[in-house]
Amino acid sequence: MGIAKRAYNALESIVGQKYITDDPAVCEGYRCGPGCYESGLGYERVMTKIPAAVILPRSTEEVQRIVKICNRYSVPYVPYSTGFYGPRSHCHVDNELLIDMKRLNDFEIDEKHMYAVVGTGVIYSPLQEEAMKRGMYVIIGGGGAQASVVANLIGDGWSPLSHRIGLPHRRILGTELVLPDGELVKMGSLAVGEDPFWGDGPGPDLRGLLRGFTGLRGCLGIVTKMAVKLLPFQPEKLMPTGIAPNTALALPQNRMKWINYQVPSKAAQIKAMFEIGKAEIAGAVTKVPLFWRAIAKAECKEEFWDIWGKENEDTIKNFHLVRVLLIGFTSEEQMKYDENVLNDIMAELGSKPRPTKPSDESWIKNADSAGMWLMCGSYTSVDYIIETLSHATQHGEFYADLKKKYTPPLMPDYGDPGWFQSFELGHQGYSEFLVYWDPDEDTTGVDHFYVETSKMNIKNRFYTSLLGPHQPLYLTGPKYGPNYHEWLLKIKDEFDPLWVCHPPVPLAHDVFVERSEWMKSIKDWEVPKKFPMPKWE
Amino acid sequence: MPTTHFSLDIRKLDNFAYDMSKCIKCKGCYWVEHTYMPGVRFSTRCPSNTWNDFDAYGAFGKMRIGMAIMEGKLKWTPKLLEIIYADPLCGACDVGCKRNLDLEIGLSLEAMRVKAVQDGAGPMPAHKKVAQNIAKHHNQFGAPHENRKKWLSADLKVADKADLLYFAGCQASYVTPEIAKAAAKVLNASNTPFMLMPDEWCCGNTLFSVGMLDEARDLARRNIEAVKATGAKTVLLTCAEGYRMWKVDYPKLLNIATTDLGFNVVHLVEFADEAIKKGSLKLSKSVDVRLAYHDACGISRLADPWTPYSGERGWMGTVNPRLKRRRGTHGLYAQPRNILAAIPGVTFVEMPRTRENSFCCGAGRGTKEAFPELASFSAKHRLEEVREVGAEALVSACPWCKSNFSQAVREQGDTIKVMDIAELISASVGP
Repeated sequence: MGIAKRAYNALESIVGQKYITDDPAVCEGYRCGPGCYESGLGYERVMTKIPAAVILPRSTEEVQRIVKICNRYSVPYVPYSTGFYGPRSHCHVDNELLIDMKRLNDFEIDEKHMYAVVGTGVIYSPLQEEAMKRGMYVIIGGGGAQASVVANLIGDGWSPLSHRIGLPHRRILGTELVLPDGELVKMGSLAVGEDPFWGDGPGPDLRGLLRGFTGLRGCLGIVTKMAVKLLPFQPEKLMPTGIAPNTALALPQNRMKWINYQVPSKAAQIKAMFEIGKAEIAGAVTKVPLFWRAIAKAECKEEFWDIWGKENEDTIKNFHLVRVLLIGFTSEEQMKYDENVLNDIMAELGSKPRPTKPSDESWIKNADSAGMWLMCGSYTSVDYIIETLSHATQHGEFYADLKKKYTPPLMPDYGDPGWFQSFELGHQGYSEFLVYWDPDEDTTGVDHFYVETSKMNIKNRFYTSLLGPHQPLYLTGPKYGPNYHEWLLKIKDEFDPLWVCHPPVPLAHDVFVERSEWMKSIKDWEVPKKFPMPKWE
Repeated sequence: MPTTHFSLDIRKLDNFAYDMSKCIKCKGCYWVEHTYMPGVRFSTRCPSNTWNDFDAYGAFGKMRIGMAIMEGKLKWTPKLLEIIYADPLCGACDVGCKRNLDLEIGLSLEAMRVKAVQDGAGPMPAHKKVAQNIAKHHNQFGAPHENRKKWLSADLKVADKADLLYFAGCQASYVTPEIAKAAAKVLNASNTPFMLMPDEWCCGNTLFSVGMLDEARDLARRNIEAVKATGAKTVLLTCAEGYRMWKVDYPKLLNIATTDLGFNVVHLVEFADEAIKKGSLKLSKSVDVRLAYHDACGISRLADPWTPYSGERGWMGTVNPRLKRRRGTHGLYAQPRNILAAIPGVTFVEMPRTRENSFCCGAGRGTKEAFPELASFSAKHRLEEVREVGAEALVSACPWCKSNFSQAVREQGDTIKVMDIAELISASVGP
């Protein structure tokens, strides 16, 4: 059926013929999968649709006008920055408009006041390069080098460098948000002037509307412009080296150095992170999944399995690493001081430094997310939590236990408890659990595992960050609140009474479970007879 | 675990079903790789998707479209043909993907064009005209065949018999003869005897690139036999498109390995780099110019040798036997830079996008014929980088690049001098 002709014509009058289309071939290019984040899973198969039309606005004003027309003609729409976030960032209902934000790519940098202003189409690695040219840096993390700065900061936006630079919501400054009905909200200092230098503005802090703990995947409006705080970095150039695929940034060893330490136990690993945080040293402190080391060593997918296939539960259980990035932010002397302190801490814990490359492939201008698909052709992070260091590490162990029940179809990882690291100088511990599977096999077990992780978090009192948009809201909401779901739905109704903005998020995972026969066997929570939202199909 | 048989044969689009279906839209095919990301300006490496912003014009969109074509879900329309053919197949997407995912993006794109031809929808009318020209005149411009060696002036020494055969190609024979002359002069200056093909015909690059495999294969067989008949041990080219065709796509068309051709294929930059190192080619004359070098796709990221592959894909997508992926790592990146460093007077400056991250000139593989506006856009976009680094001249190693950049410079009324590296070397070896 497509979008009503009158609505299409009105949209075309905003951007011109060149930047809107309902051509089937062009729209097919915006299909979500089958390859994607959550590749081949039930959610991708059941919940994603090809857009009926695609529009590419150039300015905030155009976005406002598009959204107003969508409201006038009841056209559902989804904002789309790069599409890397898989099914959650694609059309979910028939006759939907996809608003591709890539042309909002304006960029300004204020060197003196240390912030950059980016449009939704600006990605991470150019921003980081522009910042580093001027002796500053930033962390966007999450989706990596090619992911939208704005989308990542309102979604996740962390990396091992968050040990020092902190969580993303602290770096979001003045921001423009087009609400689901087209009204423009200016946040932070933009609310009272043209300078976006500061994140706080008069009245309630509406940054919660953007992301809360993590974001709501575009169901509460569209961010068109954001000022991002930049922080001081060391001054020397990181030199690009190599020909793809073996490229890296050579680190100036007098100012930057990764050091891997093998530590004797899990307890020592946590203790090391605490002590490094207490000493207020290092730019990054992390323990990554051990199979990432095999990815880094392997020349191809097949070689990865050669390397990883030699591991077993004992080798994984008894191998503990702490990976530390030292940065001489202020001077070489500071770097030496940090290294001496680090060596003292690690020696006291009985740890040994291991050979480490004098380069960075993954974290400074990137989060090497795309490499995660090499092994299996699929990947998703089912969950991440930010807790205390000691609690966060337990989260990974619970996960590893649960995962055993679902392996296969999940990839064998021999009980590796996932990704674990220090945030904000050890004041927080981060745990992320990543899973991989063969997307060409029956993935029902992965769909089940996804939801079972929520039940595990509820049972063991872990504070998951993927509440609304990634799990059934009627499963998680009553437990995290106890009326979190009602509160979230009221916010949605207030700001988007027609639910035109990315329906049926935040009830999408609930809808998925209802539609999918294979999910019924694990559905043991209450839902209303009819979900409280307008029906779009 | 069941396995699926597949090969790297582009005649069957479903050989690439795995590759097309596993694209995750990371867009590493579109953006310059993060390590070399120069900043907000010059941040993309895909000409097609920089020219047209819709995702369909990027490899990530085309992989989804390719799946839909394979499954019969999309009808051939003028728009679909534009999506498939408005693309210089420059390989930027392929090397981008192979940094992380190792999907066969380049071969998938070629297979889509073959499918378009098999279905009677492709190629574009302009390509059919090229095919007619080649059939009738043995060159793609429809120029008289007897003029092919008109570039050969009396001062150039050509042997009747030699180990080295110089294949000038259509572009340098008819459009940019100064490149063929310069190459011959360089060979003479190094005292390297060379011969020409007794009756040189088009290499078939455009035919192959637009999916006309039968016609391209006939030319491949004819040209390979013609070289073998001369007894030459090495075929030398100055055309990057031709180099790729001889080294990679002739073997691909004939289902043999590059090493099975029976002779070596080299580009002038390989020859000259080696000759300079050995001392047989002396660059003594100063060429006072501040220049930038453009990595032509055919001798850089598309230049890895070809080996046929047929095998089984199984659990987690692993393949058996092992597949040595072509990732563009064997491109001729160092040789031209070595040469430029050896020419007295030259000030060489790198552009923001170099080597495997270069932004294609946009002329190759049937693009300039069918989508001249894309070729013009791409060249003009690249020329902005030349201005950015303050170079007076832009040097490449392909007559297609030279021709396209020269036209863009003329259209813009600019003063940037566009040269082929053969001309530069020639200028340095003396009068």
